[in-house]
Amino acid sequence: MSSFSRSAQQWATFARSWFLIDGRMQPPGKIASMCSVRLQGKHKPIYHPLSDIGDHVVVMNTRHIAFSGNKWEQKVYSSHTGYPGSFKQLTAAQMHKKDPTVIIKLAVYGMLPKNLTRRTMMQRLHLFPDDVLPEDILKNLTEELPQPREIPRKLSEYTQEERDTFPMLWTPPEDYRMK
Amino acid sequence: MAARCVVQSARTVLRSVHSNFINKGLFQRIPQFSFLGSVQCRGLRHVVENKEGKTTVIEGVIEPTSERPQPPNPKAACPIYRWNLQNKYNYTDVLLLSQFIRSDGGMLPRRITGLCAQEHNKIAICLQMAHRAGLLPDHRPRLPEGHVPKPKPNPPLNRYLTRYSVKSVKPILKTGLKWCKKRMSVGHPALKNNVTYSPKPLYIKH
Repeated sequence: MSSFSRSAQQWATFARSWFLIDGRMQPPGKIASMCSVRLQGKHKPIYHPLSDIGDHVVVMNTRHIAFSGNKWEQKVYSSHTGYPGSFKQLTAAQMHKKDPTVIIKLAVYGMLPKNLTRRTMMQRLHLFPDDVLPEDILKNLTEELPQPREIPRKLSEYTQEERDTFPMLWTPPEDYRMK
Repeated sequence: MAARCVVQSARTVLRSVHSNFINKGLFQRIPQFSFLGSVQCRGLRHVVENKEGKTTVIEGVIEPTSERPQPPNPKAACPIYRWNLQNKYNYTDVLLLSQFIRSDGGMLPRRITGLCAQEHNKIAICLQMAHRAGLLPDHRPRLPEGHVPKPKPNPPLNRYLTRYSVKSVKPILKTGLKWCKKRMSVGHPALKNNVTYSPKPLYIKH
């Protein structure tokens, strides 16, 4: 416990810390579950649903999130304002085009407990479509959370050395003309 | 994962090759591998000119390829079985997949690669997913000459484990009743038997 003293623990528990998550190439559901735990304060040992001990979460690069499968086309967000004829259904791609932060916002909103504290917790969630953060938020940040999904490398991102050390699984016949 | 397996087996083979050379007192040669996509694959040729009187014969002689690591299971016909890579590769193993494709991203025929039908099918599935995830950016069909593609207003949407082509899929407007919901498929059932090291089961239907 030498590096992490009791007083530091006290601060980490009772102060409102600010977490940063990079959403580049990440599935929105996994980011949202990380956010909802932090916003409710469930990562703290003193968690109680009636005590308001949630932290702030900043998510950047929400424009560059990645959906698995064909969810950009298949996933549908429905809304109804209450007026007749106002039932709307938009796919995830259409929603993302309208507002690049809304997918993560709705995912987090659905994961938070459905009670009066939900709006308060949502106010502590800060979403940014790109990696440009305003100065006052940058000052507050305390910790960056690791990305839930490992981003696979493109073929062009491998170095020539790595390509050369990977063995050839088969050798083409010598008279075959490769296109 | 596949890359790790292959490199490990290659290393063990390399060690044996090296020790052989040392035992025989020959100089150490480091085997050179070339990649199908990046480097030519038919072996280097050097030009030999022969002059006999009036006739000049110019010949391209194939140089013998250098020492390669031997696979752990050399008897098998299929390259995947030869390297014991069944169920060990995925769409992220781009170095493996790029050996089985042409420069325009299509797959090489099975009579050339020698893959068995099942592995050929799996590699084709993985390739498709890799293409859709944008992991093979340089292997695209060639555009007609002088054609300049239009600049697109929005950046492309990031996706992975995409089973169906983008244009063929329609939105699921009604998910159905609770006990018989229409699910969104993620990944491909052919890759269900892949080796995993996590305790979580694999969910294909989201």
